[in-house]
Amino acid sequence: MKLRYVKTEVVLGTLVALALASSATGQSMAKIWTSDVVADRQRLMKLNGASWADAQAKLKAGNVEAVAVNAETMTLIATQIVALFPQDSLTDKSKAKPEIWQKWPEFESAVKNYAMQAEKLRDAARSKDQAATEAVAKEFGRQACGTCHTPFRVPPPQQQPPSPPQQLQPR
Amino acid sequence: MELRCVRTGVILGSLVALAVVGCATGQTTTITGSGDPVADRQRLMKNNGANWAEIQAKVKAGNAEAVAVNAEALSLHAQRIPSLFPAGSLTEKSKAKPDIWQKWPEFQAAAKNLENRAGTLRDQAVAKDAAAVTATVATFGREACGTCHTPFRVPPPQQQPAPPRS
Repeated sequence: MKLRYVKTEVVLGTLVALALASSATGQSMAKIWTSDVVADRQRLMKLNGASWADAQAKLKAGNVEAVAVNAETMTLIATQIVALFPQDSLTDKSKAKPEIWQKWPEFESAVKNYAMQAEKLRDAARSKDQAATEAVAKEFGRQACGTCHTPFRVPPPQQQPPSPPQQLQPR
Repeated sequence: MELRCVRTGVILGSLVALAVVGCATGQTTTITGSGDPVADRQRLMKNNGANWAEIQAKVKAGNAEAVAVNAEALSLHAQRIPSLFPAGSLTEKSKAKPDIWQKWPEFQAAAKNLENRAGTLRDQAVAKDAAAVTATVATFGREACGTCHTPFRVPPPQQQPAPPRS
């Protein structure tokens, strides 16, 4: 009898605590994404890629200051990346490597590094310093994108080397 | 004695539950924000404003197709807006109106409206439909930004009317 009370109260206490915890975090945990986390993160990373392409095009056109909006978009996107790689979210459609979850702290710091590089790009662009912005941009692919994509993403299929020109067979 | 056991049980259960909740949410809260929702949402909305300014500039320059990247940024940022307005996050620095939390479903719908309108704009740009982009941009301020800013944001200080010429 005594034991049953204790059990009941443990369950009750658990429920109360869960209710409190979820109401405390409920609004800030408001659902942001869809139920397909792979599609969500691919959409997010597509915007990263498009923002980076836009930034490069502006740099090429000598429009340094305008790079800032793309770089800031990328830093804001970066804050979402880690949350979009929950455990067991590796599907056929995903290019993620299982290393992400085996080396989670390294994955997190790669994302952090990406955010910091994007901030560097943004600040250089905001200061209208063309040389500084170009210097960050020049290394960005390797030092921002690459530090995460190289260890943690399955590389896209290699371009087929152009086939040797076909020799016409003498008849 | 029995009561003490019960109390212990309640405390134990609570601790277990909190630990479970902590573990479950731990991974997703690492790099998601600064802990200051007012600063976070003002930063997000500044970037929204900058993307919107660029959309207008591109349309003006006859480069309507190029607004897709900015429109997609608006659409993705819009998804995050409700999560950046937790209850009790009204400070002196915030321009949010308390009506946000009194009419939460309307606020959510207004954020969703921005997400959808920006998505429409993105699709029109991707389809290279310059006329449709221009038409959407023409009403965007009122029908996307305004549906949330008018009811839920304290208006910026009015410009002083120009003094009459003497």
